[in-house]
Amino acid sequence: MSTKYEKEAPSYTMTTVMEEAARCLLCHDAPCSKACPAGTDPARFIRSVRFRNLKGAAETIRENNAMGAICARVCPTEKYCELACSRTGIDCPIDIGGIQRFVTDYEEQEKMDILRKGDSNGLSIAIVGSGPAGLQTAATLLQKGYAVNIYEKNEKAGGYLRYGIPEYRLPDEIVDVEINRIVNLGAEIKYNVTIGKDVTMADLKADHDAVVVAVGASEAKMLPMFEGNPYVETAVDFLARVKEAKGDIDNIPASAVVVGGGDVAMDVATTLKRLDVKNVTDLVYEEFDEFKASKKELDATQKAGVTIVDGYVPTDVDGNTVTFKHRHLDSEMTIKTDLIILAVGQQVNTDNLGVDTDHGEVQHAGYKTDDEKVFFTGDIAQGDKTVVWAVRKGKEVAEEIDQALLGGNK
Amino acid sequence: MISKDLSVEFLGVHFENPFLLSSSPVDNCYEMCAKAFDEGWGGVVFKTIGPKHFKINEVSPRFDELTKEGTPFVGFKNMEQIAEHSLEENLHDLRHLKDDYPNKVVIASIMGTNEEDWETLAQLVTEAGADMIEMNLSCPQMTSHEMGSDVGTNPELVKKYCAAVKRGSDLPMMAKMTPNITDMVPAAKASMAGGADGIATINTVKSVANIDLDRKVGLPIVNGKSSISGFSGKAVKPIALRFLQQLRTAAGLEQLPISGIGGIETWQDAAEFILMGATTLQVTTSVMQYGYRIVEDMKNGLMHYMEDQHVEHLSELIGVANKNIVPAEDLDRDYKVYPKIDWDKCIGCGRCYISCFDGAHQAITWDIKTRRPSIDTSKCVGCHLCNLVCPVGAITTGEVVMKPGTKGNPEDVQIESSRLTHPVQ
Repeated sequence: MSTKYEKEAPSYTMTTVMEEAARCLLCHDAPCSKACPAGTDPARFIRSVRFRNLKGAAETIRENNAMGAICARVCPTEKYCELACSRTGIDCPIDIGGIQRFVTDYEEQEKMDILRKGDSNGLSIAIVGSGPAGLQTAATLLQKGYAVNIYEKNEKAGGYLRYGIPEYRLPDEIVDVEINRIVNLGAEIKYNVTIGKDVTMADLKADHDAVVVAVGASEAKMLPMFEGNPYVETAVDFLARVKEAKGDIDNIPASAVVVGGGDVAMDVATTLKRLDVKNVTDLVYEEFDEFKASKKELDATQKAGVTIVDGYVPTDVDGNTVTFKHRHLDSEMTIKTDLIILAVGQQVNTDNLGVDTDHGEVQHAGYKTDDEKVFFTGDIAQGDKTVVWAVRKGKEVAEEIDQALLGGNK
Repeated sequence: MISKDLSVEFLGVHFENPFLLSSSPVDNCYEMCAKAFDEGWGGVVFKTIGPKHFKINEVSPRFDELTKEGTPFVGFKNMEQIAEHSLEENLHDLRHLKDDYPNKVVIASIMGTNEEDWETLAQLVTEAGADMIEMNLSCPQMTSHEMGSDVGTNPELVKKYCAAVKRGSDLPMMAKMTPNITDMVPAAKASMAGGADGIATINTVKSVANIDLDRKVGLPIVNGKSSISGFSGKAVKPIALRFLQQLRTAAGLEQLPISGIGGIETWQDAAEFILMGATTLQVTTSVMQYGYRIVEDMKNGLMHYMEDQHVEHLSELIGVANKNIVPAEDLDRDYKVYPKIDWDKCIGCGRCYISCFDGAHQAITWDIKTRRPSIDTSKCVGCHLCNLVCPVGAITTGEVVMKPGTKGNPEDVQIESSRLTHPVQ
């Protein structure tokens, strides 16, 4: 019996997925299929579902996206494909993420093996980081015939997918399945290897034809007033701790305060509720009309019973007592709580990786560095910092490497 | 993406895949057929070409649909007749299609009013380069009783016209049969006796689909009136499969080459027609509803099915199910199988209770407090209506019992069924 923290929302059945697919208008020149940053073609795979070709639907999803089952669960589809959906002209958009989840679950249930390793071209690529961008880069390169070694600093692969996104949104098992597909394609993952400490960039460059730096924004930001405070934990640490323990953690607080208003803050607040923390209050710098979190995450968080207070910033902290002031109104709020979690953003660490970043991003477009052997992708490349964008950047960097090394030819 | 050889040989002609547009509004001109070829269809049966002297004058509007709950196009009613374009235009289009798509199969559908017409048309389409001829002996909405299904129900005329076509052309030829007949076998045999090489079936079923309740007239309304005309789409699939079965099990027709038609829109429908004896498959209604693109999922899904069945060529599947459909008197009537309810799946809606009481044998009891049904085996006859109405697949086949006075071992009874034993939920 899984705990409330582990329990994923129920999936469609064959009957209910057909009902949802039947709502699809099967548009001409479908807008949903032009709206995915990763190039997913929902119109095509929903049509396949509609015509009872589930295996064909799985092929459409998987051949485009090595993270298909993950994106199905975590993508803020309401900003992309579902925002574009013509069905909105009647009532509400098709649940594209839900249908994708059903299809990728079916793919796994049928043990389909869709991606094919390309004929070896004798070239080998090192990828630093096994988050979604690194994994997609690996999958695309392997299909083109490259050998791929992935260097991961942690003991498990997946990056934020593994350590950040809560179990109820993205079960560990799904992350395993997706990574196994890429391992089965031929990726070799080397765990507990930190570049600059265990191996140097020079080593990687000597051993490979190119190196892709695919590190994400994995380190939490801290606000100076909270430094050294024993009641304070960062969102990154908290989410990793809970996920690792499958929700079975000691000393569950009676109350908690979350600071931050992005999707990570929503995950933290909802996780706290799922751990049965009675009072969870999330104070957010932005007001609701300028919120950063996706609508879906915000709605789910509010539904979970979290009190979200918008427009407030922390101005003072004394141990477990924090004072917030409204940004525009003459209003102040002081809360005494058992746990303060900061979800105020994450930063990248590119030390010893031969990539210059400023504010977490390389300050030029594309994926090349001055060193012709070194590429980068993922969060440190320009563009959004979501999984779907990581997939896009993974595919794009792989194309750029292929162009650089082989001119795009086999 | 899976890739398998879907090619078939039919009446001596090679088809890259068995999917053809049937002779209908969907392949009325060069541009339509060219687009269909580009999207992956293996061939077209170009919209029926009639004799020069027969003028086509269509009504407006000319279609209607049958719906059920939220589902459109359960069936489709069509009043359009044969090609409206001039004979010259049609022959020109046939010629150019063949020039531009040499690997696709272009079948000319023709229809005459007398032997001379049939012979002449056969000659003309052969000269235009068609790969095959289909004789339209079955359109139910012609404005002449010398044409269409009135001819197709008359074996003597069928035989005579088939012979006329064979005089006009040495191309392979199939006769398209009407389902508006009790027994298709005499007409099919007459076609073969007249020289046909195979049969295409079914054409549409004569119908009145809906009545406008305020105006008291059938739909579509043509200046206050309507007519009986052909019905097609998913709703006619069972009728089509029945005719295929009867043809393929008639003495002397066991190996009859058939181009199957009637409500095909998914790869599953296609596979069913193949298992019932079709070699090629013709489609219209679902194309009218969704477009030529539906062929993509039919082809891809059929490839996956072949892979699952460990089959390299579709020919291995043709007619495989025919032997398993037997006369009602030959079925095993010595046992019954009780339904089994999965309490974990049951959501307590009571639909099985209602259907069993009102439509079957009052063999389900209903616990008002727990809202759960249970089977009363003293009354249950094992009809499995409950299984079909259950919305969550909670009811499956359970224990098999032999009827009193019969011998036999319940364990030897084959009850496995994708519908009843493993309801898709």
